[in-house]
Amino acid sequence: MESQEERPAYRSHYMPRTRDGRIATVVFLVLFALAMPPFTHTLWDRLYPTILGLPFFYAVLLFVYVALIGVLMWAERRGV
Amino acid sequence: MESWVIATGLILVYLLVALWLGVVANRRMTVDLEDFLLYGRKAGFIVLYLTVVASYHSAFAFLGSSGFFYTHGIGFWAAGTWTVLVGAITYVIGTRVWALGKAFGYITPADMLADFYESEGVRVSVAVVSVLFTILYIQVQASGLGYIINVASGGRISIALGTFVLLAVAAAYLMAGGLRAVYWTDVLQGIWMYLAVWIGALYLSYKLFGGPMALWHAVEAQRPDLMTVPGPKGLFTPGMWIGMTVTLSFGIVFQPHMMIRWYTAVDAKTMKLLGATTPIYLMSLYIPTALVGLGGALALPHIDIPDQVFPELLFQYAPAWLTGIILAGATAAAMSTLDSILHANMTVLTRDVYQRYVAPGRSAAHYVWVGRAIVLGLLLVGYLLSTHTYGFLVTLVTLSGSGALQLMPAILGVCFPGRRTFTRSGVLAGLAASMVTLYLTLVVHPLYLGIHGGIWSLFVNFAVAAAVSAFTRSPSAETVRRVHGELERFVYGTEE
Repeated sequence: MESQEERPAYRSHYMPRTRDGRIATVVFLVLFALAMPPFTHTLWDRLYPTILGLPFFYAVLLFVYVALIGVLMWAERRGV
Repeated sequence: MESWVIATGLILVYLLVALWLGVVANRRMTVDLEDFLLYGRKAGFIVLYLTVVASYHSAFAFLGSSGFFYTHGIGFWAAGTWTVLVGAITYVIGTRVWALGKAFGYITPADMLADFYESEGVRVSVAVVSVLFTILYIQVQASGLGYIINVASGGRISIALGTFVLLAVAAAYLMAGGLRAVYWTDVLQGIWMYLAVWIGALYLSYKLFGGPMALWHAVEAQRPDLMTVPGPKGLFTPGMWIGMTVTLSFGIVFQPHMMIRWYTAVDAKTMKLLGATTPIYLMSLYIPTALVGLGGALALPHIDIPDQVFPELLFQYAPAWLTGIILAGATAAAMSTLDSILHANMTVLTRDVYQRYVAPGRSAAHYVWVGRAIVLGLLLVGYLLSTHTYGFLVTLVTLSGSGALQLMPAILGVCFPGRRTFTRSGVLAGLAASMVTLYLTLVVHPLYLGIHGGIWSLFVNFAVAAAVSAFTRSPSAETVRRVHGELERFVYGTEE
């Protein structure tokens, strides 16, 4: 049986190595958490106050989704 | 002229355009397996973008999502989470899959996994999972097509005949032009379905309520139960929200018809731009379907089949020409997914089964013709599946949404270098354990402890894969150095 240690060892690719990569990852994860329970089922789960005429729940999540897309586009522009 | 004639006629026009694109694609095709199966790895941004979004969004996005809003309310706005996640997955994982495909000539997902894990068992298992869990979508899409044409013709064209005609058209342009034909028709379908659903939703909201804002206010006033989670029937619990987010993002993009698209990008920049912008289309398609579903809950509160709310509203409140254009858009949504699945299954069966085990070493032209014959077989299977009800299929369809999700540990093991990796025994054991868990948590005890079965299975999959990998043989140092070294160079420009 070949042990795992005999393989070439690479630094983990799960942890971003560049500053821009770290910023994009952290901001994306924080924003994504805002679109997940418990935030969705406690803080955002209400009709009022409306935002630009839209229900609170719908508008907040729309804002979060657009921001998440913005993070992806920022990362692409920065070459992350 | 009667409205059903106009609606059916416009669908016919759409089908003729799709067939014409198949013929034109055929003239551009060379007798080359990569050209037939992978568009020659030359897909630019616009073509790739539209084929990815059109393949992701099926008849469900067009008809089913309105039905979800109609029945379960605003909770379906969770769709934004999984569509954004699809973009992030494409950005992070898709670019790596593309780089490995280009470097080592992979054509199918099984090519990549079998190469890294040095296992024909992994190849066969992945091919089986890929085909088994996506061939059922042929049934879903084909049935949707039959239903759409049945509705458009006012019941004059039977669902069975409509299903057969539309399946035959998709198979015809796929056989003629391979993936190029699928991509070109997807461009048409992607634009058509997007415009159709937006135009239809805006028309109905102005016609029935005086505009989208007035529609929102009306729903708030008359059906506030539709405006909160978990919704009137309690579906969108936190567990369901998270479960749908994971299964409808990773679970869809790990299906072969989506992963094969990653291989076809012309360069890495195209892949990254694809990942960053895909959610714009995917997420914003659910804005008009929310208007249709929620508005429909007020205008037509007693529909027996909620998925029919969009066509029912159109037939009652929209002019015939607009109804025809929009139903042709629904046809496009279903066909763009159907042709992609037909192509993916053809590719997996030709590449991973026929070329590997039945007749290796034949000419490219031979495999192209075998691929075409397989499409004919799939056409027949798809037709039979969609016109007959088999008890076991109901179970398999229940499992299918979470099936491809179970490839996640194996794919992450390849795409993310680190100090440890999964082994072939670990991957196979994890996959087997996850299939059993899927059956138990989706069929025997659905939503066990309020958590989606796909999530339970993924937990078990990772745990078993990690445990078995700790005691079994790793991929060889040479293979790890070759594959992970390529990723190290691609992502960071360094050797180790």
